[in-house]
Amino acid sequence: MTSVVESRFPEAGPVEVSQLLHQLRQPPPGGPLTVGDPRVVEFLIAFARRLLAPATARRYPELASLGFFLRRSEIDRALGRVVPQSGVLRFPRGLVFHVPPANVDTIFVYSWALSALAGNHNVVRISARSAGAADVVLAALQKAATDAHPAVAATQRLITYGREDEVTAAFSSSCDLRVIWGGDRAVSEIRRHPVAPHARDLTFPDRSSFAVLSVEGWQAADDAARQDAVIGFANDSYWFDQNACASPRAVYWVGPADGAQAVRDEFFSRLAQVVAERHFAVDTSMAVEKIVATYGLAINDVAATVQFDGNGVAVATLRHPALVPRRWLGAGTFPECRVESLSALVEVVTRKDQTLAAFGFTADELTRFVEQAGHRGIDRVVPFGSALSFDAIWDGYDLIPEFSRLTTVRTA
Amino acid sequence: MSDEADVFTLAHDARESALTEAMNELVSHHRAHCTPYDRLLSSLGHQHAETYERLDDVPWLPVRLFKNHVLKSIPDDDVFKILTSSGTTGEEVSRIFLDKDAAATQSRMLSRTLQTVLGPRRLPMLVVDTTSVIKDRRSFSARGAGVLGMLSFGRDHVYVLDAQGQPDVDAVRRFLAAHGDAPFLIFGFTFMVWVRLYEVARDQGLDLSNGILIHSGGWKKLTDRAVDNAEFRRLFARDTGLTRIHNFYGMVEQIGTVFLEGPSGDSLYAPDFADVIIRDPQTWDEAPVGTPGLIEVVSTLPRSYPGHALLTEDLGVVRGVDDGDWPGKRFAVLGRIPRAEARGCSDTFSEAAA
Repeated sequence: MTSVVESRFPEAGPVEVSQLLHQLRQPPPGGPLTVGDPRVVEFLIAFARRLLAPATARRYPELASLGFFLRRSEIDRALGRVVPQSGVLRFPRGLVFHVPPANVDTIFVYSWALSALAGNHNVVRISARSAGAADVVLAALQKAATDAHPAVAATQRLITYGREDEVTAAFSSSCDLRVIWGGDRAVSEIRRHPVAPHARDLTFPDRSSFAVLSVEGWQAADDAARQDAVIGFANDSYWFDQNACASPRAVYWVGPADGAQAVRDEFFSRLAQVVAERHFAVDTSMAVEKIVATYGLAINDVAATVQFDGNGVAVATLRHPALVPRRWLGAGTFPECRVESLSALVEVVTRKDQTLAAFGFTADELTRFVEQAGHRGIDRVVPFGSALSFDAIWDGYDLIPEFSRLTTVRTA
Repeated sequence: MSDEADVFTLAHDARESALTEAMNELVSHHRAHCTPYDRLLSSLGHQHAETYERLDDVPWLPVRLFKNHVLKSIPDDDVFKILTSSGTTGEEVSRIFLDKDAAATQSRMLSRTLQTVLGPRRLPMLVVDTTSVIKDRRSFSARGAGVLGMLSFGRDHVYVLDAQGQPDVDAVRRFLAAHGDAPFLIFGFTFMVWVRLYEVARDQGLDLSNGILIHSGGWKKLTDRAVDNAEFRRLFARDTGLTRIHNFYGMVEQIGTVFLEGPSGDSLYAPDFADVIIRDPQTWDEAPVGTPGLIEVVSTLPRSYPGHALLTEDLGVVRGVDDGDWPGKRFAVLGRIPRAEARGCSDTFSEAAA
């Protein structure tokens, strides 16, 4: 095997795949990594500090979120979730191969960081097109590594390679766990390459997400709470062009018909204003995309009305709540519908639904809804503004346990 | 030139009022005969009795809708021909439905438009392409369809390229020997005309001075070679004697309507039954003269499908009104907008990789 990949972290230029795999199989300086290994923890905290530097955080707000996620307190919280049991020992799985999506600059960092925290050796394929935020991440990793224990650089690799199937095949057959992000097609494509018999896949395929807003909750909220909700919703929706799996697409107004219309109008008018003020860019191509998508909904009799508030906000009123389109319709395109109560949405939920962003409901109302709908789908319920906040439980997986394995010891 | 052929006569104001009236009738016609179109207009808040005072008030459809939806205003039994657009591999193609009347109308109006520059009689024709481009009718390319559509405007056709795509200089020489001292038609796509005809004619010293060149297909590839329209015309004239050159702009979604370059080569013009509206992509209002925007094409021809007012994905600019070779707006096409790309985790790795 003479395939070559480019090592982006540590920055080492072209490396032969067989050589890279050989290096990654060696125990690192200072001994094997453990779950919650202090050498890794200190490195991640130093890395997070660089992401939280004011200049970086201002320029790339998504990196600031990443930085928060990797603060010491958050790391302690993630590790604290795996409670030690007597007679049960937890170990890293070994070598984890990550295939993140090519066009979300930074999402790979979350699953890689949690896997590293679990003590795994990791090889992460990153896009050659990486730019902007991803380059900042690489630079921050590089700097953090100079002060870190050498075990980090010896066990963690971010690499770039082209379409060579044999490279994907080599890492697939050598890893103990493979993490695949991306569209359904991408997942299926990567899965053509077998993993070792003991290994398995953790997949994050296409998902869709929606928002629910309580008409009564909105009416009870004061101006500041309403504005906060709209700003949070705008961030959830526009940060990744409404194409992150957790970004809300459809919006359901939950409550009586009288009042719902006014709430809807106020919400979208505030949203259009926030979108304009925050310069969430909708360029000509994106505007055309949204026109094509929404007009298509009307042509197919899915939407009864289509309205644009500038190019920023497109709203398509669904003829029925279950007609919700789950595909991407362009940045800032909101299918919407009123329902009498949350329970009316139970039948709408499918396994594909990931995040429910909610405003104006009590914890009891939301829990009751999840109890009803849980057998169908939905992996997380969050308040407006938190849809994109990554969590150590994602897509229904508790990631630290997923990234580790257990050994039991019985003496009698 | 016969009166029949004269379709570049209407000044802006007269054209706008004639087209506005025709568009009002067409909107009602398509609403009555194309349920999906009617649904769309209703969803956008257009009343059935609505009268559009101005041409730019008439609702338009994004041209891409014809790729994703069946939009026709004739019963299935009356479908006589389905035209499909270009599109690279894997991309969806537009489907345009014509009945017998529509097919006849589009070819008649195309012919009247081109007769403005070709005259009433069929001319000997040089095709800057290969015969293979039209041979396999099942896997028809846009280029093939374009060539085929033009063949009826000429006679004694000679293809400039052989089956391997190489210039067949002998064939061209024989053509010129037989027909070169009276007007003849040259047709091809802009880039092919440049690399396959101009360069060969220049190097071989061919005399094209009696030719009338009709070409289409965009300037992007030529811009990379630092050749724009002015340079194209200047060098053809200097090196081959060819001065009668007419670029045109048109699309399968508005078949039969072509926007033709005037004799001086200053701009494109709409025939009397059509127009362009340049729209500001922020407000979607009509952009002032000189300000680029997206091109909307308006034509009275589409009756069998609701393609009478289409927003293209091409950028263009109106350079003047009633001040050029022919009456009406004179405009230029500036290029295509890219397809929207989104960040997001649903990205397909295989497409985005490397």
